[in-house]
Amino acid sequence: MNVLEIKNLTKKFADFIAVDNMSLSVAEGEIFGFLGANGAGKSTTINMIAGLLRSNDGEIYILGKNSTKHSRFAKMNIGMVPQDLAIYEDMTAYENVKFFAGLYGLRGAELHERVVEALEFVGLEDKHKSYPKSFSGGMKRRLNIACAIAHRPKLIIMDEPTVGIDPQSRNYILTSVRKLNEMGCTIIYTSHYMEEVEEICSHIAIIDHGKIIAEGTKEQLKSIITNTKDVWIEVKSAEKVDVAALKSINGVEAISVDENMIKINSDTGVNNLNKIIEHLMSCQMEIRSLQEKAPNLETVFLTLTGRNLRDQ
Amino acid sequence: MNIINIAWKGIKTDFRDTRTLVFMLAFPIVLMLVLGTALSNTFTTSLPVDDIDVLYKDTTMGEYFGHFISEAEKSGLHFKKVTGFIDGEKEVKQGNYDGYVEVTDQGIQLFVNNGTSIEGTILEGMLSSFVDQYNIASEIIKVAPERLESAFTHENSVNFIKETSLLPDQQPGSMDYYAIVITTMIILYGAMSASSLITSERVRRTAERLIASPVRKSEIFIGKVLGSLVSNSLCILLVILFSKLIFKANWGEHPGLVFLVLLTEVVFAVSLGIGVSFLTKTSAGPTVIIMLFVQLSSFFGGAYFKIDNPEGIFKLITDLSPLTWMNTALIKIIYANDFAAAIPALTINLAGALIFLLVSIISLQRREGL
Repeated sequence: MNVLEIKNLTKKFADFIAVDNMSLSVAEGEIFGFLGANGAGKSTTINMIAGLLRSNDGEIYILGKNSTKHSRFAKMNIGMVPQDLAIYEDMTAYENVKFFAGLYGLRGAELHERVVEALEFVGLEDKHKSYPKSFSGGMKRRLNIACAIAHRPKLIIMDEPTVGIDPQSRNYILTSVRKLNEMGCTIIYTSHYMEEVEEICSHIAIIDHGKIIAEGTKEQLKSIITNTKDVWIEVKSAEKVDVAALKSINGVEAISVDENMIKINSDTGVNNLNKIIEHLMSCQMEIRSLQEKAPNLETVFLTLTGRNLRDQ
Repeated sequence: MNIINIAWKGIKTDFRDTRTLVFMLAFPIVLMLVLGTALSNTFTTSLPVDDIDVLYKDTTMGEYFGHFISEAEKSGLHFKKVTGFIDGEKEVKQGNYDGYVEVTDQGIQLFVNNGTSIEGTILEGMLSSFVDQYNIASEIIKVAPERLESAFTHENSVNFIKETSLLPDQQPGSMDYYAIVITTMIILYGAMSASSLITSERVRRTAERLIASPVRKSEIFIGKVLGSLVSNSLCILLVILFSKLIFKANWGEHPGLVFLVLLTEVVFAVSLGIGVSFLTKTSAGPTVIIMLFVQLSSFFGGAYFKIDNPEGIFKLITDLSPLTWMNTALIKIIYANDFAAAIPALTINLAGALIFLLVSIISLQRREGL
């Protein structure tokens, strides 16, 4: 059964088409990754699913029911974790979760139980009387999640839930996402961190210019890229790297530099490794290691959209 | 239930906000104390008059003026006969005496330093009265001297003109006045906090979560407005109680009606704030507009100093201030038991509120999200 089904969804802002005739479906029990650069249309799509924006055209079905005609039903079954922290700084962690859970019709002892359950789930049960202003960024992110899950939604939408937090809190959140999924929640997950999406998502859609340009499991997406390979070269210092010169070497498709790691995406049909090494040596760069890798999601994304996920 | 949930959350956070509490409670109380004390002289309705010292010269043979002097002494007028080379007029000019009276067979001449001074006016009035009685007596003697005694007996000397104040002791003192006008002013300031009712949700991004929940926009709107109304009303109630119990300010014998009128102003202020927030596009816009409106309304509405009988364009401006309607209505209710005075204030407040609420509702319906 599909928890979410989108048919020919379109959203325009004046003359700009943010979402262009998009169709997709998310099956029950999936962790569905939404990949797209800034302005690709993923937040607009998510906002329409959550009922924050009205579409110009198309339909959204939540658990088989049209979300426009059955707005209350749809909203009761969705938990929204917005990208920006949506919590009240002047209310305690407990009060925050209680207030939002109360909007879903929970009352009395049941409300209390659900609030405690949500706080326990995100590991803030000891901080239930504390105000968010005393929280770290990671704790605030966890409270942001608790506010979205206390009413036990079937579909949880997480828009960049790990932005700006420490690795420990990120791991905690990723573990929580898996746990929620094991508990039966279907999750739509967006992130700028490709490795996160690759790690937890069972199904991924790549969005560009308001359209889904690729969709499937990780393996299915990677199989799209059969004509390129990744070469990762670790150097002592990548400061002197001449990206333009490297790009001019026959067969080189794309280059990214991550600290001392030079990542080169190259055509599998061209044997250009010697020329790449020669170029680096001529620039007096000390090569420490060299690895040839199979394409990952980042390569897929780069190849399909022509830009890095984190490009602004 | 969601409306109450949202309203209750608003009330709770309002009363936790120290800045709001200081502004809504401490600020008006301090202002009442400062203005009520500093400007108390402006509200004094009686003028103290010291003893009046008068020089006189009586060249007549009669003893009537002597009788007048002895009677006048009882009222604090002290007459001293001019002796030797003392120049009465000069003494008055130098301020040593309040007046100089010359009594001759041709009449009485009075010299005072300032014709409009209170002492001079009193002296002139008493002498006029004396002269009138003297003339009456002279006429009676001419036609019926036997009736003279009966004409001037004590029984007949009744007051033919009785002066009675229309509002005896029913004028606000400075603390009474400032208790009213500062309260109405602080209610209007409630528009400031109301202007951020919806915008604060947008800024904190909680608007997204509210809209994503199964709560209608109308419920969110009503809940927010209701919460603000209750918070503001409670603050005002505390200010009134404080001013009544501690400053002994007079809130009249009809507290129900007075509070009802104030409540309608709270409704107006909250609606004004929320309406302006929907009409302006920048986040700083509502604050600037409301601050300007409240300051001008306060100035021309008599919140800082009492405005008596304004005329011309100044009257027109003062009439435009919502605080003028409010303060006029409250003073009439409290000091003249004029219940009808509540009607214009109630009507204008509620009509204004309705307009701003309609503007807000229409804007909210057109808007995606909050």
